[in-house]
Amino acid sequence: MHHGVDLRGAGEAMPELPPVERSVAREAARWLLRLGSGRATDADLRACERWRASKAEHEHAWQRAQRVNERFGLIPAALGMATLNRPELNSRRAALKTLIALVVAGPAAWAAWRVDPLDWTADYRSAPGERREVALADGSTLLLNTASAVDVMFGSTVRLLRLRAGEIAVHAVADTAPQPRPFVVRTSLGDIEAQASRFCVRQEGGLCRVSVQEGRVRLSSAAHPRSPVSLAAGEQSSLMDEGASAPSAADPHASDWQRGVLYANRMPLTAFATELGRYRPGILRCDPEAAHLRISGAFQVRDTDAVLAALPATLPVQVRYRTPYWVTIALRAPAEA
Amino acid sequence: MPNPAVAASDNVHLLYRAHHGWLHGWLRAKLGNSFDAADLAQDTFVRVLRHRHELDALREPRAYLTTIAKRLLLNHHRRRSVEQAYLEALALVPEAMAPSAEQRLIILETLLEIDEMLAGLSLPARQAFLMAQLEGLSHGEIAARLNVSLRTVHRYIAKGYEQCIMASI
Repeated sequence: MHHGVDLRGAGEAMPELPPVERSVAREAARWLLRLGSGRATDADLRACERWRASKAEHEHAWQRAQRVNERFGLIPAALGMATLNRPELNSRRAALKTLIALVVAGPAAWAAWRVDPLDWTADYRSAPGERREVALADGSTLLLNTASAVDVMFGSTVRLLRLRAGEIAVHAVADTAPQPRPFVVRTSLGDIEAQASRFCVRQEGGLCRVSVQEGRVRLSSAAHPRSPVSLAAGEQSSLMDEGASAPSAADPHASDWQRGVLYANRMPLTAFATELGRYRPGILRCDPEAAHLRISGAFQVRDTDAVLAALPATLPVQVRYRTPYWVTIALRAPAEA
Repeated sequence: MPNPAVAASDNVHLLYRAHHGWLHGWLRAKLGNSFDAADLAQDTFVRVLRHRHELDALREPRAYLTTIAKRLLLNHHRRRSVEQAYLEALALVPEAMAPSAEQRLIILETLLEIDEMLAGLSLPARQAFLMAQLEGLSHGEIAARLNVSLRTVHRYIAKGYEQCIMASI
């Protein structure tokens, strides 16, 4: 019998193959097993071909098997195992093993089947939890915060960095070329132009925050490129869809991340979960019921699990690990009276 | 002489008018939400339409509808669990290596199909088959991992093929 319950399945586009009897499916399965054993001989192969040719239904069963193999071929192994061999079907232990294997086997396995190379072309990138320092050809330096990506394009007229994702700290030095080239960080929301200066750029959502620690920079928003905003040391501004915001005093903790510190001053717990979540793979979320809580402190992001483990000591929360990569901060159930 | 196809389709109309509201309520109670219930009630009647020749002998319309609806419900829960597991697995993939939106959809649809094909297999047979098909493990490796004999692995893999051949779309 045909079990095509799903009306929206991707298989609908393909012509349907005629159904086959179970006895024929079983024979086909035996052939597949024999040919896939690695010890199949030419004689086996010819015998299988004769079997397929001897009856239309045999060939139909064979074609069905080929289609099954095609389907499996579309699935990245690690992702397929995590989904099709999913936790609720197994013991919890086995599920965790699968997830861990996915992470360990991850990058190579994924790279092997990736089709679209565009996202992978960034010149420098950092993994979640990683900080990465890059020395540039002109003597400037670049520090990538967690999960960030940058392209470097130095030419004869401009020293251009393209910030694709995340957060960077730039120490731009004066150019020694006979005709000094400006140092430009390009974001989707606008350009940040500098000569010799230290500044941080953070891209998040529809906002790009720039703060200056030394020297000056000039922001030209994509919306209003002709009315740039100038920022001095100790000032910050944000590039937005509408343009650059007026300069304000820089957050003194804007560059704490360069020392691996996440600083919170009465920060809502949801925002804290989002911030801390940037430094670890997987998902870290805060249960809505705990969202009203506030947290203060300077946290070492190098070991986010330790930070999470310490939360219940200061807040009425518990941290639930469904897996190491799916973590929820929730209100602690009130103690029994 | 009345056209039997028209008569059968009239029967579906009658069935729909008399029991659709009730079926929707029944599904809502099972699912806890009205939107999914409306979808599944609709799917149930789509199935009824496909099999309308069975309606002539129908004595217990609500039992008939719930039989179909239960199967769809099971399928719905299975889909949800696949989707959930898939999303969790995707969340572990480094952003830079995440598949595009379109690839994600293709993979999900394929996973749902495969999951449906494998639905009738025993758990160890399913695992053995997946290890062979997805991870490309040899039968010897699978035997070692599952702690069963090579013969048993052969049986599992053959069963997996048989099941997929029967159920493939």
